Amino acid sequence: MNAPPLTPTAFSRPAGLPMPLARSFVTVVLSTIVLIAVCAVFAPSSLSWGALSGSLPFAAIIAIVGLGQLLVVQQGGFDLSLPGAVSLSVVVATHYPQQDDALLFQAVLVAIAFALAAGVLNGLLFSVFRLNAIIATIGTNALLYGAVFAVSGGVPSITTELLAEIAGGETFGVPNSVYFALAAMAVVSFVLKKTVVGRRYEVIGASPSAGRAAGLSVRTHQMMAYVFAQLLYCMAGILIGGITREPTAFQGDSLLLPSVAVVVLGGTSLLGGRGYPVSTVVAAFFLNQLSQFALAVGVPYSAQTIIQALALGFGIGVYSLRWTLNVRKSTG
Amino acid sequence: MRHFKLAMTMTFATAAAAIALTAAGTAQAETPSWCGPKKATLALLDGYGGNSWRQVTTASGKQTAELCPSITAYEYADGQGDTQKSISDIKSIAAKGVDALVVFGDAGPAMLPAITSVYKSGKVIVPYRVNVGGKEGENYSKFIGSSFVNDGETWGNWIKGILPKGGNILFLSGPAGNSQGLDELKGMKNVLGPEYVFVNPEPFAVTNWDPALTQKVLTAEIAKNDKIDVIVSDFGPSLVGALPLFQKQGKSIPALATSDGNSLGCFWHENHASNPDFKLFTVATGNDNVRLAVQWAVALATDGTPPTEQIFKAPAFEDSVSGQPSPVQCRKELPGAIYLSSELPAEAQAKAVGN
Repeated sequence: MNAPPLTPTAFSRPAGLPMPLARSFVTVVLSTIVLIAVCAVFAPSSLSWGALSGSLPFAAIIAIVGLGQLLVVQQGGFDLSLPGAVSLSVVVATHYPQQDDALLFQAVLVAIAFALAAGVLNGLLFSVFRLNAIIATIGTNALLYGAVFAVSGGVPSITTELLAEIAGGETFGVPNSVYFALAAMAVVSFVLKKTVVGRRYEVIGASPSAGRAAGLSVRTHQMMAYVFAQLLYCMAGILIGGITREPTAFQGDSLLLPSVAVVVLGGTSLLGGRGYPVSTVVAAFFLNQLSQFALAVGVPYSAQTIIQALALGFGIGVYSLRWTLNVRKSTG
Repeated sequence: MRHFKLAMTMTFATAAAAIALTAAGTAQAETPSWCGPKKATLALLDGYGGNSWRQVTTASGKQTAELCPSITAYEYADGQGDTQKSISDIKSIAAKGVDALVVFGDAGPAMLPAITSVYKSGKVIVPYRVNVGGKEGENYSKFIGSSFVNDGETWGNWIKGILPKGGNILFLSGPAGNSQGLDELKGMKNVLGPEYVFVNPEPFAVTNWDPALTQKVLTAEIAKNDKIDVIVSDFGPSLVGALPLFQKQGKSIPALATSDGNSLGCFWHENHASNPDFKLFTVATGNDNVRLAVQWAVALATDGTPPTEQIFKAPAFEDSVSGQPSPVQCRKELPGAIYLSSELPAEAQAKAVGN
């Protein structure tokens, strides 16, 4: 018998399933529906519109950083510079204007400039100098935190009114940050799935050597992964600056693990290859709703943490279970 | 004759001015009783220096040390939230020959071995605010705690005043199990009877003092509890971003008992008119705790007379109901991240936090 395929999600398409996308999507949507049902029974308050409109902005933030992490994971990497990148754009967006609306636009441009620089640096280290992604991005993270201290001295600053209105406001009753997350998802999905660049990007992620053999510019595509990821982190950081009126200078720290968790829950293989942006965004909602559920049932903090860990373990376990079944099938 | 009178008047005036100036000069040069004659050097060791509260505190400590001319050098080290670094900071500063060390031991008892070894080597070492365990005269020279139980009692008494028949309380504190939150709860329970119900999970809702997490926690609590009469939080400014959630869910912001901060005071001024239930009471956030610790360290190192107080009790600061000891304050032209309750003048604080 042949050896089992390494990444069945990318290579083996079992007969009967029309779209490979469907599997991860169906899994994460089903998990979310189960969670909503559980919420409705045990913690109905977590589903009230007031609670949702308060917590959805945080789901949107996790979704956006998750999409950034997704792009890097698709190239077989990990981006550990996320905390520094998000924190830096938070402090740039709040410290530079010092509550002056007129300076907000420039502040956003400065934040984007930092993001591009950090992205190019990560990309060069990974694709040209061939450093391990984890090592390279840890280094970049330290640099970014240096910049955070240089800009802010570690002190929080209050958001400008305009930013609070844009990022923290609501349109048609839905928090604006949700629209930002949906727009980011639409762009990432469209580019990945419907453009030539996007298709090449996924091929290179699945197998850089095959990509190179096919004459594709592997380095450029890998580099782009880090640059676009940084732009997404930057967007998330600026939104956090508006959603919390007095953000700390370390607001990115708590986002690293969720960003990886939603990529995995969304069904993307950590080995690289095909990515699932829509599932990642649904997973962000799932993760956020899970923590709201844990808060709403009113159990002690220790139990909240355990509930979250169990549910995450379950979510990831679903994939490994299917994966094993697949392997058995293909090995006969 | 007229000229003579004029000359006399001028002479008197000059003499009076000279006397006044000399007196002022003497007053300035007069050293506080805790500052003795022996020359010494002093260092302030912070476990974590990365927020505005700590920067105001550090500036307050420095200003206190500067009042004593016997202190010939002043040093500062920031442990950056890293226990290992905090420990090595203490050891290296002591090895450099500094005579007196004031330590904010954020890591708690983990700092005790380093503190003890410095004390055993014959230096003055005064941990403050965070309990590091150990005993006075055995592990360190003196511990200057802060009475969080007292804070809890102050809040409790105010709550009794505005809600005499009892009510629902939501208590928010920092990381799970932090001793500050537990002590505050003890203080409140000393004062409040069973008619006051805590709606948060026991012992308090965990926020890590992080504004984003505070927002999430408050979202869940507002949705879950139809009636929250008063919120108690030991870090008021982190609530500013979260309080508008009440209006989003169609409710008035409830009464709030907390610690002060400029951004919070300004938020109250902007919002109390549209939120009829929004009463605000604050205790001083306690930047001046460091002053007492520095005074003790200096007194022990320079042979001065130690202060009479041995524990820092944060006084009540603002009360929107009675206006006593002070009505709610707001300095809109200054940064939000300063503390008007602090002895350090507001402008000096603004400079300390880098604005």
